[in-house]
Amino acid sequence: MNEAVPAGPEFLIESEQTGVLLNLGELWRFRELLYFLTLRDIKVRYKQTLLGIAWVLIQPFLTMLIFSLVFSRFVKVNTGTMPYPLFALSGLMLWLFFANAVTNSTASLVLNAQLITKVYFPRMFIPAATVGTGLVDSGISLLLLIAVAIYYGTAWTLSALLLPLFILLMALFALGVGLIFASLTVKYRDLRHALPFLIQLWMFASPVVYPASVVPAKWHWLLVINPIAAILEGFRAALTGAAIDWQNTLIAFAIILFVLIVSLYIFRRAEDGFVDVI
Amino acid sequence: MSAAITTENIGKRYRLGGLRPEHMSLRETLGDLLMTPFKKIKSGSQQQTLWALRDVNLEIQQGELIGIIGHNGAGKSTLLKILSRVVKPTTGRARIVGRVGSLLEVGTGFHPDLTGRENVYLSGAILGMHRAEIERKFDEIVEFAETAEFLETPLKWYSSGMWVRLAFSVAAHLEPEIMMMDEVLAVGDAAFQQKCLDKMSEIRRQGRTILFVSHDMSAVTRLCRRVVLLQSGRVVSDGDPAQIVNQYLSSSLNTSPSLAQKTEEN
Repeated sequence: MNEAVPAGPEFLIESEQTGVLLNLGELWRFRELLYFLTLRDIKVRYKQTLLGIAWVLIQPFLTMLIFSLVFSRFVKVNTGTMPYPLFALSGLMLWLFFANAVTNSTASLVLNAQLITKVYFPRMFIPAATVGTGLVDSGISLLLLIAVAIYYGTAWTLSALLLPLFILLMALFALGVGLIFASLTVKYRDLRHALPFLIQLWMFASPVVYPASVVPAKWHWLLVINPIAAILEGFRAALTGAAIDWQNTLIAFAIILFVLIVSLYIFRRAEDGFVDVI
Repeated sequence: MSAAITTENIGKRYRLGGLRPEHMSLRETLGDLLMTPFKKIKSGSQQQTLWALRDVNLEIQQGELIGIIGHNGAGKSTLLKILSRVVKPTTGRARIVGRVGSLLEVGTGFHPDLTGRENVYLSGAILGMHRAEIERKFDEIVEFAETAEFLETPLKWYSSGMWVRLAFSVAAHLEPEIMMMDEVLAVGDAAFQQKCLDKMSEIRRQGRTILFVSHDMSAVTRLCRRVVLLQSGRVVSDGDPAQIVNQYLSSSLNTSPSLAQKTEEN
């Protein structure tokens, strides 16, 4: 009577902590879920909006206009050869990606409590999907940036091909920071309230709307330990064809890698307990 | 036949009385750090715990359709959650052979703003299906759910019956080797419930293993050849459905008549 049902994968459920190593095979098996969760986040965000996906462009564009008004009309900030609006947009585009990705990943686990308590899948994909969503947005706003750069008559060089590399670095950093905040928020909802201030503080501590050159020498170490600074500087250099400071980029990469490893460790440690606390 | 699921002394302990002492807000953590020197007096009383499951030892063979019954809070849902890896047990271990598809609620992963079509893909992926698999079964899923004409409508405008039919349909086409269902049939009209029961029989005939938590005793007796009765987190009976359902019903009558109703939440 039984048709042959293939004996599937064998799995052990243990009460002890089974270790914090990443189960890469499992992440790979569920990879399509990451795609579907990202797709869900993208689709849901602009449902029942008139302008739809255009919001991805409107946000950085309007923010660029505001900062241009303040920092190139009211207060004159010297951004070298780069026109201020282009300078601001290049910074804001990456910064908004980071800020939104971190904010959304922080809230993501709690928002998806319903899923977490009802079905098993690698929980990491929930915050990761919000970073994926931001990555798609960044791809779109990169087009806006290129358009603005063309408008200002930027001389393109081959280093423009490195632009995606810096977006990718930002994505890795956002993933790391997002995973840490997400796993802490499950227990400590306080973080949701503290995060907006932290993000704002971080923005003004990074050369998003002002150039790193205006930072006094005694504060320069802050820019070195903040990978965002190196990413922004590198991104702008790639855009204008200026020399990229590879040493700073490498330091930033090392810090990002470290944060990412720490975040994966924290997340894996907390993951099994989410369902009991959320 | 070989065992699909083997559990050894599975237990799950929950803390009672809020989230203390482990899971408190940051302010309390900080406050407690300051108060630590003065805290000795009140500790101890906070460690109230509840064993939702205790020493569960089961061996479920491949191809069995097994019913799990018990009163509210007996641990039925907790057991399914542990076996489907949603919740980690406090003690014991379990060995699972085969892909597990669990349906602990109707419409897992459904998003009200997405259309029926989008939700079939999303929910299918969340329940563990591959995209190609969903694509292949898509028409069948929609046909079974009888919602073909509403595919491009956001789910929030579905009637609750349509919502449920689509949800069950996605899950019924999962084709895992082991399927776990928690009180899914309590929804939908009589005709659709019958359709669901038929589908489950079909799944069993294919040699798949089904764990089925329900308060619908007639469905349990009709479908299952083995029933497990849980009481306060322990397995109290395991075996012949008719006999155990009787035992359960009479214990319900003795303790609290209202609990025998099948509408109860678990």
